[in-house]
Amino acid sequence: MEEGGIIGQLGIDWKLFLSQAFNFFILLIILRAFVYKPLLKVIKKRSDVIKEGLEKALEADNRLKEVDIIAKNKLKEADQESIHIIKNTEQKAKQLEQALRTKLEEHQKELMNQAELSYERQLQEAKQNVLKNTSEIVKKLFIKVVELKPESIDEALIEKAVNSVKNEAK
Amino acid sequence: MQEISLKAEELFKIGTFSITNSLFLTFIVSLVLIFSAFLIHKRINIIPGKIQSILEMGMEWFLDLMSSTLGSVKMAERYFPLIATIFIFIMVSNLLGIFPGVGSFTIENGSHKVSLFRSPAADLNFTLAFAVISVVVTNVLGAMAVGFFPHISKFINFKDPIKFFIGILEIVSEVAKIISLSFRLFGNVFAGEVLLTIVFFLSPYFVPLPFLFLEIFVGVIQAFLFAMLTLVSISLHTAISEH
Repeated sequence: MEEGGIIGQLGIDWKLFLSQAFNFFILLIILRAFVYKPLLKVIKKRSDVIKEGLEKALEADNRLKEVDIIAKNKLKEADQESIHIIKNTEQKAKQLEQALRTKLEEHQKELMNQAELSYERQLQEAKQNVLKNTSEIVKKLFIKVVELKPESIDEALIEKAVNSVKNEAK
Repeated sequence: MQEISLKAEELFKIGTFSITNSLFLTFIVSLVLIFSAFLIHKRINIIPGKIQSILEMGMEWFLDLMSSTLGSVKMAERYFPLIATIFIFIMVSNLLGIFPGVGSFTIENGSHKVSLFRSPAADLNFTLAFAVISVVVTNVLGAMAVGFFPHISKFINFKDPIKFFIGILEIVSEVAKIISLSFRLFGNVFAGEVLLTIVFFLSPYFVPLPFLFLEIFVGVIQAFLFAMLTLVSISLHTAISEH
């Protein structure tokens, strides 16, 4: 039997045992500080970045869908508005056309009236002129008819003839 | 053929403290891991490179596994450093221990040749240290989760004889856990080393290859098993304490 019995035979030595344990703890501290912690930190950071990116992408996707819906609605609204505007414009144009036509007709009527009035006035003027010269013309006519006896011209008869013409003219 | 020894051989002494070949490889493993940790730390970026991507994939897989065992991501993140360090340290130690050529370096120590490197898990001090750490830390975390007295009442309880007896059984089970964890790992790795030594001695070319692959597999599986058993133990202690 060797020195130290079974423990000695197996080579168990408390100094070697402690140095192995010490070795392990040193390694544990170094690996924890220089490998595990930084790697876990990096993994966590990266997963956070990926998570954030995915969330943002999802948000952007949703926003895009919302914007798409808004754009479609706006287009629909614009379409409806344009149809409404066109209808309104057509209606206004018709009203305007109607108003212009009415105005034109009125103007036409007015012109016709004016023309009629002018015609009437001219006619009256012509008649007046005719009447004004009638007595003279009749006188000259009578002189021509009774050229030989001017003293036989009866003023009263002339007056009668003129009045008769005047009445007829009226 | 190299001498097969159950305990790690002494290489040299620093004062009264003897440096064994397994402790020497443990230092090298620690240095490799610390150096790698610094290199990784320098290259950590929000946009990962190839190495970082692989590390992150492994880490996320491990965290998922832990989350499903512990029941929450927060708890998984809290206990991740301990479980991951146990897994990485044991796995790298096992792989470096069977690395071709590692066993070839020998030094003269007195009258006999001593292998310069020995797989750390082929030394009971290493496996025992890990088992004790696993059980102690598990209990500390359990106590931290629900308080010292509710946790300790699982082991020492004078309220009724049944609970007292259950408490004794719990203490025995914790001690058994230390023995089982340490000897399982030690047995597997030591047996693998012995097997490889014998196979290399009998037929140095081609024949050892399947055994080498087997030992790589065993090394990774044993590291994973140790880490998972610690994880399950944490899960049980924190869960039992909640009732």
